Amino acid sequence: MKQVTLVMGVVGADVHAVGNKILNFVFTEAGFKVVNLGVMVTQKEFVEAAIEAAADAIIVSSLYGHGEIDCKGLRDKCDEAGLKNIKLYAGGNLVIGKVSFEEVEARYKEMGFDRVYPPGTDPKTAIEHIKQDFGM
Amino acid sequence: MKEKLQNKKWDEDYFHSVRKEVLKAWKTGHNLNLEEAFSYQKQIPAEKNFSKKLQEADEKGITLTQPRAGVALADKHLELLTYLEEKGNADLLPSTIDSYTRHNKYEEAQVGIEESIAKNRSMLNGFPAVNHGVQVCRNITSSLKSPVQVRHGTPDARLLLEITMSGGFTSYEGGAISYNIPYSKNIPLEKTIYDWQYVDRLIGLYEEQGIRINREPFGPLTGTLVPPCISHTVAIIEALLAAEQGAKCVTVGYGQCGNLIQDVAAIKSLKKLTKEYLKKAGHEDVLVTTVLHQWMGGFPADESQAYGVISLGAAAAALSKATKVIVKTPHEAMGVPTKEANVSGLLATKQMVSMLKDQSLLNVKEVELEASQIEKETNAIMSKALELGEGDLAIGAIRAIELGILDIPYSPSKYNADKLFPARDNSGAVRILDMGNLPFNAEIKEFHAEKLKDRAKIENREVSIQMAIDDIYAVSMGVLIGGRNAI
Repeated sequence: MKQVTLVMGVVGADVHAVGNKILNFVFTEAGFKVVNLGVMVTQKEFVEAAIEAAADAIIVSSLYGHGEIDCKGLRDKCDEAGLKNIKLYAGGNLVIGKVSFEEVEARYKEMGFDRVYPPGTDPKTAIEHIKQDFGM
Repeated sequence: MKEKLQNKKWDEDYFHSVRKEVLKAWKTGHNLNLEEAFSYQKQIPAEKNFSKKLQEADEKGITLTQPRAGVALADKHLELLTYLEEKGNADLLPSTIDSYTRHNKYEEAQVGIEESIAKNRSMLNGFPAVNHGVQVCRNITSSLKSPVQVRHGTPDARLLLEITMSGGFTSYEGGAISYNIPYSKNIPLEKTIYDWQYVDRLIGLYEEQGIRINREPFGPLTGTLVPPCISHTVAIIEALLAAEQGAKCVTVGYGQCGNLIQDVAAIKSLKKLTKEYLKKAGHEDVLVTTVLHQWMGGFPADESQAYGVISLGAAAAALSKATKVIVKTPHEAMGVPTKEANVSGLLATKQMVSMLKDQSLLNVKEVELEASQIEKETNAIMSKALELGEGDLAIGAIRAIELGILDIPYSPSKYNADKLFPARDNSGAVRILDMGNLPFNAEIKEFHAEKLKDRAKIENREVSIQMAIDDIYAVSMGVLIGGRNAI
């Protein structure tokens, strides 16, 4: 079976590196091919890395609250670049203020994300979902 | 023409030539007049001066409370700070700056301001002071009763400093290492040391006018199991660099690790070492105060559990006689808090520091032993850094980071060696699992190795990186030491 390739990183001007380092570690352990772009990644860098690596999914993290501004238009950029059906995942502290997770999830799905995760999600949950989504 | 980087006080003419360029970066800086800024600062009443309030607290031996807070729009920001001052009894106020401003992305901060107006909620995670400009800052700082500090995370914080000091703020957080390595990806340390020399030189110029601005190196760094010797070394280096440019009031910081003995010992040794190094460098006239930051790692999502973490931090601050404590909120796990949550954290903290005001753990034997351990480790790193710089601290700091002599765990910066891995010992104190290139002697290495072996034995597993990863999640899961269950 083909190995699933993930492009991951922390979007925008966000420098939260701890979760990024841990996700890189656990996704690699889980058998995925991980292209980790680290922190402060632009939409353009995500798209270019996904094309370069022929990625199956882009995993976007955001911890600092500007996620809504930073993620707007990513789905369109993917479509324009020919990444028509690429899976988009987002997780972290995705908005500013205390907003229910249902509301956050709805906002991000509206923006074209396939799966959305609240802060403190066990990485195992995401690993299970990735395996499901790619029939592993 | 840029001079060769060294830890040497900038010539004033040189400062002014650089300043011309700095002020061009955004329109609010264009007509900034330094003489006018001095006159404005001189008429600020003493009770609104950060340094004076810290000095009084230091003399009384009490611990002041300070929240973090900042929103996009000026009226909302003032409303927020007023609320924290009135309802939360905050002694010192902040203005936390948004992340676009921190990266000098003023165009994007402008979009954030406009979207915040359109959507009637803050779309930025802080107050974009540069975009708002001097007059808006003055309206805010003059409308509050307490002194206000700029808290940010800006590698190039020169224009932000110019605007906020002219805007009536009296304290400035950050430093060349502490606002670079934990806050950026690609910025060389040479650049931030140079840019922060500018910051400290301007603060020196204010000082020469009789205006004392407080400087606070950012203590917690990445907030992720940073061993005290690492954060102490950074704080001391930044205090020395600031003093060289003329700063006279420095607050050195530390992020709560969670073991009470280690936390008290850390504040105790931090104050002692900073004073010693300043004195050795001929800066004994610098006032040194301390700040403890409540737990900077992941928080439990449950608000009652979060109060437990907040209160433990408040206890560590009071029992170590830290001059101030930076307060977390019960919404920490979810991101930027509401003002009500911020007040809750402040009041819980105020209750603790008031109850513990007349108690101290500073002279307990275990604290003294731990403090002396931290001192040995910090001195080892400092002396190697000075040696590498052939006597020049600016050069020494750059080489120490490059070689991993000074290594900040979990940093986003590519300039950090990233070889050090910390983990907790059996009592929850932060030890070093992988030393990387720290310049420690056999005795210190043995001390850490033994502590971790003891833990491994109790947990019936090998000492491994998995231990370190478990520790990162532990507090949010309700315990201090990773992989254990809440009782």
